[in-house]
Amino acid sequence: MVAFPYLLLPSVWASRHRTRRCDRADLLRVALFGGIAVLVCAALFTGSFWLTSQLADYEELGDYLLRLGLSWLFLTFLSFLAFSGVVTALSTFFLSEDLRLLIAAPVAVRRLFHARFVRTIGQASWMVVIFLTPVLTGIGVARSAPPTFYLTALSTVPPFVVIPVAVGTAVTLLLVNIFPARRARDILMLMGLLFAAGIVLLLRFVQPERLLRVESLPDITAFFATLQSPITPMLPSFWAGETLFASLRGGHDLVHWGALWTSALALTVLLSAASDRWYFAGFSKAQEARKARLTRLQILDLLVEMLPLSPVRHHLLIKDVKVFLRDVSQWSQLLLLLALVLVYLYNFRVLDLGRIPYMSGVIKNLYAFLNMGLAGLVMATVAGRFVFPAVSAEGAAFWIIRTAPISLRDFLWSKFWVGLVPVLLLTEGLTITANEFLDIDPFLKVVTAAAIVFMSFALVGLATGLGARYPRFGADNSSQIAGSPGGVAFMIVAVFYVLVMILLLGWPSSVFLWHHVHRVAFMRLQVALISLCFVAAAAVSLAAWWFSMSAGIRALQAMDRTPA
Amino acid sequence: MIVVQRLVKHYGSFTAVDGVNLDVRPGQIHGFLGPNGAGKTTTICMIAGLLKPTAGRILVNDHDLAANPEAAKASLGFIPDRPFIYEKLTAGEFLRFHAGLYGIDGHSGKQRAQEMLELFELGRWEDELVESFSHGMKQRLVMCAAFLHRPQAVLVDEPMVGLDPRGARLIKNVFHRMAGRGVAILMSTHTLEVAQEMCDCISIILQGRIIACGTVEDLRALAGGRDEQLTQVFLKLTGGSGLQEIDEVV
Repeated sequence: MVAFPYLLLPSVWASRHRTRRCDRADLLRVALFGGIAVLVCAALFTGSFWLTSQLADYEELGDYLLRLGLSWLFLTFLSFLAFSGVVTALSTFFLSEDLRLLIAAPVAVRRLFHARFVRTIGQASWMVVIFLTPVLTGIGVARSAPPTFYLTALSTVPPFVVIPVAVGTAVTLLLVNIFPARRARDILMLMGLLFAAGIVLLLRFVQPERLLRVESLPDITAFFATLQSPITPMLPSFWAGETLFASLRGGHDLVHWGALWTSALALTVLLSAASDRWYFAGFSKAQEARKARLTRLQILDLLVEMLPLSPVRHHLLIKDVKVFLRDVSQWSQLLLLLALVLVYLYNFRVLDLGRIPYMSGVIKNLYAFLNMGLAGLVMATVAGRFVFPAVSAEGAAFWIIRTAPISLRDFLWSKFWVGLVPVLLLTEGLTITANEFLDIDPFLKVVTAAAIVFMSFALVGLATGLGARYPRFGADNSSQIAGSPGGVAFMIVAVFYVLVMILLLGWPSSVFLWHHVHRVAFMRLQVALISLCFVAAAAVSLAAWWFSMSAGIRALQAMDRTPA
Repeated sequence: MIVVQRLVKHYGSFTAVDGVNLDVRPGQIHGFLGPNGAGKTTTICMIAGLLKPTAGRILVNDHDLAANPEAAKASLGFIPDRPFIYEKLTAGEFLRFHAGLYGIDGHSGKQRAQEMLELFELGRWEDELVESFSHGMKQRLVMCAAFLHRPQAVLVDEPMVGLDPRGARLIKNVFHRMAGRGVAILMSTHTLEVAQEMCDCISIILQGRIIACGTVEDLRALAGGRDEQLTQVFLKLTGGSGLQEIDEVV
């Protein structure tokens, strides 16, 4: 009978082929992303090293904070891993294409379960492991930890990762068996909303902004008490933190280490038994589904009917939006984005700049540009992830568009508008709300709001145009398309464009504000330069928008074959 | 070899398969015909172990699929209508992996994989990635996999889709040879000429129920004709040609 590691072989062989047969574009991508990863790891190592060194100056308080920090670090990862486990398990256990091949083969459910569980753990946790490695190394080096610390870390992280992923997998197993048929996307939506709400509640609960208030220093112990409160000794994050803290000081905390391992093993055994009983029923149910009520979206048809568009554009719009909303992978990404947006806004909400009155005016306006830059980067990321893949997402079905009596110009413009509206609403909403929280100068509010409109046109146009210029119709999912050489090129150009916009708008705005605050009249040359900068920013944006779209349309028209 | 007893499958309130009985004997090629949505693929997926029946019993090589799924599946080869193959593996690797799933050890698996690739005229493509294969080549590769472990029963869902005439002829020959060696083949198809040419016995399914079962002669007699082609018999049994309606619409 087949041992479960055998079922992992196709992934291993496929990776080997990818490594052997990578071309120049692949090497470039590896070098680029590898370089970024190395930089991020170096920054994490430096940050954790610096922070731990600083804490070392405070002896017992430093130890206490380090211990608390470790528990919080692991608590954050615990929630991330549990959510990631739910999402990944849905794909690996129930939606993966190769499951039909494996289930039709004489492979015991338990072995298939073990193989898929290993895969789920790997997929759900690689990011956490990569993040933890430089952080824990930084802490260890800063505290001159003995080698046993690193060995303990190596033996602590695996069970810590297994526990939340096992819980996430169990939740997926339960949901797939309870909900009728393939309602996976609805389940995901629910889980994502809960996750986003959880993050906001957690932040609201902890109120880290209180650290910024000088007058609240006497309450600092109360603050630490608040920090301490969600860290219950019943959670694996606490066990992992305690185990590592003990080994950092040259000791051993075998109780918590043992709790981690026994819990991980017990959960694996229980999950294995549960899968014996419910996995096939859940898989079968997932095959049966025909309807997804939450995403039937009849209201969408009615809304689109009301828009003043040609019938062709009506249908293209409805198709694009429905296909997008029914793609599970898009939903999970979208919901994570929503969570990040909530955290982003929350940060501006709690920023208490009034406590430094002599600086608040300058800092507020500086923050306004920081906010615009961040909104620009959010826009570039969203456009890169959701708009750039729009043409490629047609995949093998692109022949329908090419053989239909519609122009490719109409097709690409439809893609542009479908991308523009949500991107513009999202970033404009973010910017206006954050600026309201900051209470910046009205002039800057208008400048940044107008800039976001121009930037949305430019970045969405750039993403749509480059997406058409460098399509990847054969890609399995949108992430692959966004990570292609064309996608990377888009991100580079987009970041460069955002920087140019900040420069073109930042200088004239600061000059204007300075004169405005000090009630000094402008010189003619200054007015001319300020106007020139604003016009240049608008011109750069419009040029990026128009030329990208034109290039995209030309590329589609020049395409000499329909993808297979 | 493949025995299906009172098989039922409900999708919510919809009954896709309603008390189907089948008996495919060793050496028999059993055609499974029916209009679109009649329940053919659902029945085949249940026999392959991909769908859980609502009720009924499936025996493959005397092994109950519900009670002893691994033994039943070990006796079965399955050729789905839309096959999945790992695109990033070579043909040889895919077959060796498949051999491993059915408990064939490394050396034997490699040798058997080469034999099957030669048989299905894919020998020179052994070390090429599957992603570079045409649809017909992928179809033949899936057949290699289905016959690799010397199954005693084979389930085939639409075998001729995407195959060129040479490939179709090859498949027909292979099926006849396999049946000659005692392999039971249950084949769902829309190509009635293929069914007429190849099948010893044909079952026709309509709205989840078997409405007719027998040889082509038996079905002709049932439809009330003597020398009619199977297409005419099929249309009579499943509800007319619809030509009048076509004329009205056109």
